[in-house]
Amino acid sequence: MKALPLHWDPLAATGLGLAVFLTVLVAVGWFRLRKRGQGSPRREGEETERWAVPELGTHEQARGRSIFHRWDPRIKIASLVFFAFCAASVDQLGVACVCCAISCAALLTAGTPLGFAAKRIAAMAGFLAMFFVVMPLTVPVLPGDEVVQLGEAGWIQLNLRGFSVAALVAAKALSVALLMEPLFRTCTFARTVNALARMGLPESLCHMLLIMYRYVFVFRHEISRLWVGMGVRGFRPGTNRRSFHALGNFLGMLFVRSLERTERVYEAMLCRGYSGRFPVREGFHARPKDWALGACWIALSMGVLILDGWAVPVLFR
Amino acid sequence: MHISDGVLPTQVALTCFALSAGCVAVSLKKTHSEDLPKVAVMTSAFFVASLVHVPLGPTSVHLLLPGLVGIFLGWSSFLAIFLGLVLQCLLFQFGGLTALGANGLMMGLPAWLAAAVFHGFRDASSRTRLLAGAVVSGGGVVVAALILAVLLATGGEDFAGVAKLALAAHVPVVVLEAVITGFVLAFVDRVKPELLGRSPWRSEAR
Amino acid sequence: MHLQAIPCPIRTVSTPSVFRLEGVDYVYPNGRQALRHIDLSIHEGERIAVLGHNGSGKTTLARVLSGLAPPTQGRVLFQGDPLSRERLEDLRQRVGFLFQDPDDQLFCPTVLDDVLFGLLNFQVPPKEAEERARKALAAMGLEAEAHRAPHHLSYGQRKRAALAAILALEPDVLILDEPTANMDPTSEALLSKVLKDYPGTLICISHDILFLYGLCTRAVVLQAGGIHHDTSFERLISHRASLQEHGLDFTFRFQCCNGNGSHEHGRRHRAIPTSPELISEQGACGPDRRLVGALPKRGSKVHPGSAQGFFLEMLGFSYAYGDGTVALENVSFQVGRGERLALVGPNGAGKSTLAACLAGIRWGTGQYLLDGRKVEGAFRRNLWRHVGLVFQDSADQMVCSRCGDEVAFGLRNLGWPESRIRKKVQAMLHWAGLEGFEDRVPQHLSGGERKRLALAAVLAMEPEVLILDEPTAGLDPQTEQKLLQLLDEVEATLVLISHDVCFVSMLTDRTLLMHRGRIVDDLPTGKFLVDRNLHSLYGLDFTYYNRCCREIQDLQEDHRTNAVTETADLR
Repeated sequence: MKALPLHWDPLAATGLGLAVFLTVLVAVGWFRLRKRGQGSPRREGEETERWAVPELGTHEQARGRSIFHRWDPRIKIASLVFFAFCAASVDQLGVACVCCAISCAALLTAGTPLGFAAKRIAAMAGFLAMFFVVMPLTVPVLPGDEVVQLGEAGWIQLNLRGFSVAALVAAKALSVALLMEPLFRTCTFARTVNALARMGLPESLCHMLLIMYRYVFVFRHEISRLWVGMGVRGFRPGTNRRSFHALGNFLGMLFVRSLERTERVYEAMLCRGYSGRFPVREGFHARPKDWALGACWIALSMGVLILDGWAVPVLFR
Repeated sequence: MHISDGVLPTQVALTCFALSAGCVAVSLKKTHSEDLPKVAVMTSAFFVASLVHVPLGPTSVHLLLPGLVGIFLGWSSFLAIFLGLVLQCLLFQFGGLTALGANGLMMGLPAWLAAAVFHGFRDASSRTRLLAGAVVSGGGVVVAALILAVLLATGGEDFAGVAKLALAAHVPVVVLEAVITGFVLAFVDRVKPELLGRSPWRSEAR
Repeated sequence: MHLQAIPCPIRTVSTPSVFRLEGVDYVYPNGRQALRHIDLSIHEGERIAVLGHNGSGKTTLARVLSGLAPPTQGRVLFQGDPLSRERLEDLRQRVGFLFQDPDDQLFCPTVLDDVLFGLLNFQVPPKEAEERARKALAAMGLEAEAHRAPHHLSYGQRKRAALAAILALEPDVLILDEPTANMDPTSEALLSKVLKDYPGTLICISHDILFLYGLCTRAVVLQAGGIHHDTSFERLISHRASLQEHGLDFTFRFQCCNGNGSHEHGRRHRAIPTSPELISEQGACGPDRRLVGALPKRGSKVHPGSAQGFFLEMLGFSYAYGDGTVALENVSFQVGRGERLALVGPNGAGKSTLAACLAGIRWGTGQYLLDGRKVEGAFRRNLWRHVGLVFQDSADQMVCSRCGDEVAFGLRNLGWPESRIRKKVQAMLHWAGLEGFEDRVPQHLSGGERKRLALAAVLAMEPEVLILDEPTAGLDPQTEQKLLQLLDEVEATLVLISHDVCFVSMLTDRTLLMHRGRIVDDLPTGKFLVDRNLHSLYGLDFTYYNRCCREIQDLQEDHRTNAVTETADLR
């Protein structure tokens, strides 16, 4: 068996480091959630808590006093989304880490509960973990790559460059995911959507989003009641025909009920004078401060791009 | 499976956004304006349905449902799927913000395809219709997986392995989706056949 | 043509007419005729109760009146003019329609947005709109919830919010579809007060005669889409025969509510020695296991503290929701085998949570013993074999497309052989009065039939404990009575959660009074019913109902004597 190479590609090393960091972050998030659960009576395996849908920007959450809360939502969305695109198009791992750090700082400044951010990371974890496992095994070997051979006859070849590619993807995904919290949890969902409408998204789409957001919670309660109803009569899902049949009925029931509801909701809207438009009552006014903050973020994004495209390759290579 | 941020090259992500926006516009145009609230309510039902995990051996998978959305919503399905993905991204981070366009294409195009194919069977006997629905929704997942693989592969040679794996991972989902859709359609056919027939508020696919 | 049993008084109404329906028919797109030749005029300031069986066209009538369903035939005149497109908009502004399910009417992200929706649509200036919205919310006791999302509100609160959204528009006509279904007493009392103060025309669809009593003055009874009676409300309720005809005879309730609500223990000696059908059915499913298990006869009921021990026992049980809200706090009680127990208390007292814990759906801290065995681990996962739960809304329990499958669902999970399941399904459907329903679609049944189906589906599994959550919610009196008879035959240990005093008194022997997650009293049902201090202490006002019952009874008494003289006169 060949010994591990003593000197590693610095990028691969950073990649591994980031992988560890990511794992730790998810673990910490998970631990925090667990710990909160232990404070109150145990709730694991609770049928009624299934399919919990997190809320985005409740009235309470929007009351925070951070710089993100006070920012005009239109400029906030525009500049942060621009940053997200810049962060996602970075090619250097180091720069991606810088983006991550910026997002982390934004998250901490916004002061939104970290549990939500942890959940977001946990949601991506599976997809990203796949990269960490698959990439080192499948990335084609280019000249200059470190290859570690494991096993008797070296039948497992780990290309360390794979780690660095996976780490790059993870870092980019992380920097956007962390930014979602300051972006969307710092004002009410309705206000966010109204801001989107003001920014040129078709109004009809915005209204649909608002209605969807409302009925997701209604239907979630509906299916958890149905699920409990099946559970108390002994239904335990498994991989067999009967389970699939029951699940099909269960989903069918959801669709049938929602179809019936669509008509009633529409009629309720008609009754209260709906004529194809939702009334908008919220006004936005951007102060110079908002514009300045936006400009700062745009500058930061451009800075990241410049760093990525010119500074790092030229100065450090 | 949804593509997260940072996987696709920026040009690809932006192109997908543009294409998705075009498709959403078409979908919006083909839907009567008075039907939009109804499509929204129906979309939240699909959103919730996609949270349901189906046990598969030792693990569980969640359904993708592009076929079923297409069957129920016709032309409006792209719109529904895109909005569903927006909400999923905002609430759960399933699929990234910058990859929304790509995810929209990946799920929306199969939905339209399913709608078009299923449309041919609307007047068939209920048994044929069920079978067609099951096959169509299984096919929808296949198409979604193919689009996913193609999109992943645009990242360069490095991503070819991941693309192949993603394709392989969808095989059990295809079967599961077809079977469950079959049962869903059978249920709906008995309880509320209007949902499968020509409903007055649904614009027809082609 | 039906001969009107009640002489229809010629009403002389001086106020102008709001609605005039002339020969209105309504046929659904699927061909079902919901309304047949309706002629009706409604005058300003009238208070009309619309009554009738499920599916008799009441809701359709309301939809026609609110301009949602244009009649297939005939004319609708609103304030003298036929409904045109322009008139329709005016009508929508003046007619408020409260739907049965508040979730249909609350489609905005916050309650305040919902109330503002209508106001802003009707071009009320934003400032004034906000003021009116807040006033409407305050009137329904929801000032504090203005910025909350509807799904954070309780059902009663949501219903009140939906009404606030309508009342903010200050409509001239208010149409209510089953306003009291599933409501808690506090919300109902508030609703009743608001409606009594409402100055406009009121049209109220309801089964709840006691709620309508004192609110409505005119009664319109629909049957199979046609108007069957159109008379004064008092006349209708004093005429027992026609009430019975329309499934509205609630006089069985008088047995428990007579006078000061003294608890008749007569029901205890009810002839429960199983009816012939039951015996044959027990034979069908094997001699060892019966419908309700081999339980001691109710006469030999084990009393708490007797030597035989308790069947179900909870010790120091607590439960808190994810957000830290304590729902149950140190709950301890014992139940003997076959005992019948009522859980009573104001909304949010933790009754439903306790039921969910008993069924093993929710799990807190503390001890829960069933039949002497500690409920935990595998036993908790298998609790469904012993404990049956019937939900408030039986539609939540229907997951099959055939009634037969619905009953068989639990049995298949129990792993019974198909032949035995088939027999049991037959027997249970027969027991519930649903013979021949195997192939019907549960979702197409009426509310009462569905409730009985849900009950049959749960009881088919032969649970030792049966938990019923608000079994009477949304049922018409006739169905309630049928349900009462069915439940009386059940011999499993019964835990009944209800706001309905009548059911509590008729079915249970013992009442646990809950308040804020604690059991504050545990006393025999008879004693509970007469203890007015307890009622007022915990906001359970039954005395009003008792008074209504008494008054209605008197009316019927009067009518009976009158009728005798009338018939004599006729001859």
